[in-house]
Amino acid sequence: PDGRLWPQVKVGNVKDLEQSKPVGFNYPDEKSPAWLVKLSGAAYEGAGPDSNIVAFSAICTHMGCPVEFVGDRFICPCHYSMFDPAKNGQVYQGLASDYLPQIALEIDAAGDIQAVRMSGLVWGRVSDAPVRT
Amino acid sequence: MSTYRRKESVPLPPKDAASYNTVCQYCNVGCGYKVYVWPDGAAGGAAADANAFGLDFTSPQVALNGLAYTESMHSVIRKRDGRDYHVAIVPAKDSPINLLGNHSSRGGSNATTTWSDSRSTRVRLHYPLLRVGDTFNAIPWADAVELQARVIKGVLDRYGSDQLAAKIYDHGGGGGGYENTYGTGRLLFTGLQMKYTGIHNRPGYSSETWGTRDRGMHELNYTAQDARLADTIVLWGANSYETATVFFAAHMMPNLQGATTEEKKKFYNATEPMGPARMIVIDPRITATVNAARKTGAQVMHLRPNLGTDYMLANAMARVVWEKKLYDTTFLNQHTDMKSFADYKAKSLQADRSYEDMLAEAERITGVPRADIEQAATWIAERKKGGFLQRTLILYEKGVIWNYRQYDTVAAIAQLGALTWSVGRPGTGTGRQGGHQEGYARPGYPGPKPPPDVDKYVQSGQGKLFWVIGCNPYLAAQNNQLFRKRIGERTAALGRFLSVSASQAGEPGSMAELAARILDGVEKTNGLFLTVQDIYQTETARDAHLILPAAQWGEAELCSLNCNSRLLRLYDRFMDPPGDARPDWDIHAMIGRRLEALYTADGKSDVSKRFAGMDWKSGEDVLASAEKDLYASANTRVPASEAGGLDPEGFKGVTYAFLREIGQNGIQTPVRMDPKTGELVGTERLYPTFKFATTDGKFGWYGTRPWDDHKSAAAVAKYLTPEGEQSYPFWFSMGRNQIIWQTAYHQRHLAEKAATIPLPYVEMSPEDASAMGFASGDMASINNEEGNGVFAVYVTDSVPKGMLFAIMYHWLGTANSLTSPYTDPMSTNPWYKGTRVAVHKLAGPLPSVIETTSFLPVNDFG
Repeated sequence: PDGRLWPQVKVGNVKDLEQSKPVGFNYPDEKSPAWLVKLSGAAYEGAGPDSNIVAFSAICTHMGCPVEFVGDRFICPCHYSMFDPAKNGQVYQGLASDYLPQIALEIDAAGDIQAVRMSGLVWGRVSDAPVRT
Repeated sequence: MSTYRRKESVPLPPKDAASYNTVCQYCNVGCGYKVYVWPDGAAGGAAADANAFGLDFTSPQVALNGLAYTESMHSVIRKRDGRDYHVAIVPAKDSPINLLGNHSSRGGSNATTTWSDSRSTRVRLHYPLLRVGDTFNAIPWADAVELQARVIKGVLDRYGSDQLAAKIYDHGGGGGGYENTYGTGRLLFTGLQMKYTGIHNRPGYSSETWGTRDRGMHELNYTAQDARLADTIVLWGANSYETATVFFAAHMMPNLQGATTEEKKKFYNATEPMGPARMIVIDPRITATVNAARKTGAQVMHLRPNLGTDYMLANAMARVVWEKKLYDTTFLNQHTDMKSFADYKAKSLQADRSYEDMLAEAERITGVPRADIEQAATWIAERKKGGFLQRTLILYEKGVIWNYRQYDTVAAIAQLGALTWSVGRPGTGTGRQGGHQEGYARPGYPGPKPPPDVDKYVQSGQGKLFWVIGCNPYLAAQNNQLFRKRIGERTAALGRFLSVSASQAGEPGSMAELAARILDGVEKTNGLFLTVQDIYQTETARDAHLILPAAQWGEAELCSLNCNSRLLRLYDRFMDPPGDARPDWDIHAMIGRRLEALYTADGKSDVSKRFAGMDWKSGEDVLASAEKDLYASANTRVPASEAGGLDPEGFKGVTYAFLREIGQNGIQTPVRMDPKTGELVGTERLYPTFKFATTDGKFGWYGTRPWDDHKSAAAVAKYLTPEGEQSYPFWFSMGRNQIIWQTAYHQRHLAEKAATIPLPYVEMSPEDASAMGFASGDMASINNEEGNGVFAVYVTDSVPKGMLFAIMYHWLGTANSLTSPYTDPMSTNPWYKGTRVAVHKLAGPLPSVIETTSFLPVNDFG
């Protein structure tokens, strides 16, 4: 990820986030849906004072279906792959080979949450950033 | 950011990338894949006309219909020309198996398993290795072959072939296939006549399914389409969502969801009722399969038998069918042997006993409520509205195969299938799901049926040479701790002897002198010379004297078939093996040729001629040799109705050129010649006219053994006393999971997989966890009289109270350390899936594991 010019996008404020109520946004561009969520417990590499704020691509890494957030994990409705948002989007069950791409977050003193870069490739693309044709 | 290094882009193959067809290297399903290879710096563009996929990547692919090309589907390799190449391995959209380009978590990462000295796969074996004292030295192939051939010849000449022992793979897919199974068989069976040969996952040269084959019904008698056409699908001891993932997701799920109606209309009678399939899962655990099936919205029954009681459950279900007259008298009379049926009726159906008595006893033994037994039997066999026969597909796998009295368990299910006419008709079939792919082409095994137990033979001090080929018995053999201990003692005894001087450590330098010293040593120390032939330096290899490096999937051509359709395809070669590694058939040919020369020099032409003809230059040469050896006199110019009498994996007439021509479509074995045109044709279902593989074509019946409360498995029964149950309070079973394949020989090297399953683990019920103070991630020391090991605990409702389920072959501790030495005397097959253990809580979890590993329940889909 180093050396890329990732867009910096404000995706919310800490005070507006309710636990386990995901908020949709797009990152790194308008065609790439993502989820921002405050988990019930700390996440590995989670943001915020309780390390429980995380963001992930909303597209399953198996065949591209939109994942749903249910009971503190992401589930794909198509073939039931499941990803643990507290463990880097680890695919702990199902047909997906790759963890869910994670979006790094930075939170400033005012509680504003910025998406600052991708970690992992969004399904259906060959690059998270534009590529030559 | 991440527990492992992620990628944010993958390069596209250019239009002129070299492209190949292959099939996944892993499970029974055999999903098709396309491989693209191109030199570094020559990537294609995102426009459809600028890449080899021919797809537009200027905007994202469309869910389900687009091509999956993900991070783990790309890698960089180096060829022997010294240049870097990119490899993309993506699901084949034109495969009839992984429809729509579906793929599993294992197959989706095929590319990451390719060998590279710049990635974790650099630990692949590169050179033949000779143990010198306590280290391994690299040696040239000619010397490795010389040593192996001279030790083999010395043992054969002095003691005969019964002092040569081996464990060999008999599978297709990665590492196997016709070429390699034939290469091994030609050397070990034709050449060396070794009856002390066991198969990769079991002690003897047995079939896992003699219980059905002896009835005249091969276990792979159905086709994948039957899962889309069935009214009722039974999964018995088969956790298909995790172990036949794409078969479940691409063929069963659409039927459970009612999405295969249009296809059903082509096969069903005009007025025959049709709807979404129902599913019956028979498994002690609430597996992911149970809940995935429920999540589809289908009607699902889950029967949870006590461990080791399944044949009594199958017999009870058959009795229900008998009592309620749900069988077809015409089918039984015309296509089954009614003389042997009398034995079945007396012993299995227990027809002389009252129905009430038998069902009450079955409920007591199996723990399955009588009402569920009756309902399941009804779902399997009841007539549909209009009197149409139910279309039931009954699939079983390792929960049945590695069971108590496994011969009877397989037989009982096969017979339930025959009794309910669940074979040969579209939407039916009674057979195994399969573990791995097939690809079996061997000369006849020279030993008896049932075969001797090679593991116990070698443990007991027999055998002078033990050759382990493409398998890892230090994880996979039953009663493993004792097995490792005894093999280790015997190989160490030989190692200590090899020093020329009693006071110094130097060993003989020439291969001829070393071989002579080894032969002297195995005589004087009762030591064991251990040769391991594999792609990695396995746990077994740590005690080896000689290690032979093999090529893997993608590094040599091979022909294999999958289990759900017997679909034969060519798995192309797309890269070089590491270092000096060679295909297994090539290694066996080199050793065979050297033995031929040594016996010729001895003037023993009667022996040397047994090794003649192994002068193969390519995999295709081996295939041609196998065809000539096995099928020269076979008449395959027969109609489909006669296919049941052919070798189910028969490939007469097939060449690489033919397989390249048909590509991903493949051809279903047994391959026949069309009686009219002489063209090669495949066989969809094995028994379309219900002519079975017996002398009179009729299904043969068998009366199962009477129930004995596991007494014939003394090594387990010893725990089933009040004192035993107090000391060892848990039942212990084991098996696979979704993430790792078999011994995890590849996945243990892939950070993203190893981080998911970093430790051996056991599933424990919430009740037991609460009583013993366990939380998920805590470590447990588990033991019994057979062995012990340390496992992380997953608290889950999957297992019932009083039972643990362990991942079977983890590299940090195999569940087999705890399994008993019991085998079924009918088949020499083990009961891996049931023994008793005690549990002790250790000081807590490993903090780094708790931090990075998910312990969420794998069977809860919300």
